[in-house]
Amino acid sequence: MIIVDKLCYSSRLRYMNAGEKFAFAIITLLICVVSRSILCAAVILAATAILTVKIGGIPLSRYRTLMAVPLTFILLSTLAIIVNFSHTPLDAFAIPLGSIYVTGSWHGIYRAFQLIITAMAAVSCLYFLSLNTPMTDILEVLRRLRCPLLFIELMMLIYRFLFVLLEIASSITTSQRSRLGNKDLKTAYHSFSNMVSVLFVRAIKKSNALFDAMESRCYDGRIRVLNETFPPKAKEIIAIVCFEVFLLICIIGGKLLL
Amino acid sequence: MNSKEQRIVAISAAFAVVFSVVPGVSAMHIMEGYLPVSYCLAWGALCVPFLIAGFLSLRKRVQENRRALILIAMSGAFIFVLSSLKIPSVTGSCSHMTGTGLGAILFGPSAVSILGIIVLIFQAILLAHGGLTTLGANTFSMAIAGPLLTFAVYKLCMGAKLNRKVSVFLAAFLGDLFTYCVTAFQLALAYPSEAGGVMASFVKFLGVFAPTQLPLAVIEGILTVIIIIGLESFAKPELKTIGYFGKEEAA
Repeated sequence: MIIVDKLCYSSRLRYMNAGEKFAFAIITLLICVVSRSILCAAVILAATAILTVKIGGIPLSRYRTLMAVPLTFILLSTLAIIVNFSHTPLDAFAIPLGSIYVTGSWHGIYRAFQLIITAMAAVSCLYFLSLNTPMTDILEVLRRLRCPLLFIELMMLIYRFLFVLLEIASSITTSQRSRLGNKDLKTAYHSFSNMVSVLFVRAIKKSNALFDAMESRCYDGRIRVLNETFPPKAKEIIAIVCFEVFLLICIIGGKLLL
Repeated sequence: MNSKEQRIVAISAAFAVVFSVVPGVSAMHIMEGYLPVSYCLAWGALCVPFLIAGFLSLRKRVQENRRALILIAMSGAFIFVLSSLKIPSVTGSCSHMTGTGLGAILFGPSAVSILGIIVLIFQAILLAHGGLTTLGANTFSMAIAGPLLTFAVYKLCMGAKLNRKVSVFLAAFLGDLFTYCVTAFQLALAYPSEAGGVMASFVKFLGVFAPTQLPLAVIEGILTVIIIIGLESFAKPELKTIGYFGKEEAA
């Protein structure tokens, strides 16, 4: 139902040590965001795409659709950065509207381009993590990083409940649709709101039933599960370190070139 | 057409293109990698006291009653699902509720801060709405500022003996608007305009997001009211378990 969650279980990189993937994604993300180097962002975009699509085996068409998700935001907010309203025209373009100009500068356009490419590179890092690592493995990494237990427990339960609730919501929506529950806008709003209220009632009922079930199985406030461990491989760690060093060289190289 | 008219038509066409390729309007998440690091850190730091307060209040509730943990988790999942469902809209584009407004009315702002950050982490990882570096900024606007205002407005209206439906609408509507203003402000601070500085930039960001966010805020307000009506008519006992009714009404 959540496409990313489904895809990550079939990734060929799934059984790589989760800590390595987490470290790779976060360090690369930080380098990308801190440096804001265009060269570095292009390298990251290429590297994560190869890793996810070629090595991980996520279908390219899916990857493309997923990368389009943040597009709305980037288009709208970049528009706000490029376009200025002012009495004096700037150097790149200027469209007079009455007494003021809708105008922009080359510097602003360059900055917007830099922003788009680094933001897309950052999103690709995030996708690398989420398309190759199941959520439970990410939670295990957070546990290792000494996140508060209550927080992790909550995340685990919420993650489980997501799917329970999404399933209920989708079956209610299906049955509403089959009864013309969305024939016009007014009915659609009513159906939606009724669905949410019922969802809430079901959620509370489910949570009570679940607690009873857990209590009868000696739940003491902590859920312990055995987790499979895939030890980190020296080869992979060396590869990650090499890549990050390469990125740093790219940044320095890009600075020298300009 | 003279050249001025042509230009106006061209601009409006450009706008139409921009808005028609929009694949889905997520509520105002700042995307991954969009903010400079210093701003990420600053907004994150600003969230810490609220998160600690929320965490402590949650821990107290869990220690008092272990059943609460499951209930709180279910509420978190509920907020996530609410914010990931497409709401019916006129144009056929898909838009989402923030869900944190309803959350704040139902569960209180302190619980929503922690649930909100968890929901935002899941949205970033599972849906690519928002991101990990912008988690701080998004948490502040969507899980702290919006819900706090919603809750304050709701309490104020209820204190002023306003009709509950009106109070719920105002609370959800204003909370949504406030979230949107805070996000625009966060963007403006990070990217001040070349002509006019932060304030000009703030106005621009407000303007760019207004066509999608203003109707959304009204819709969110209306939906929240209908949901609350639905809940009050057939979920009274459940609402009592989460402490929704004030003391005077519970009696």
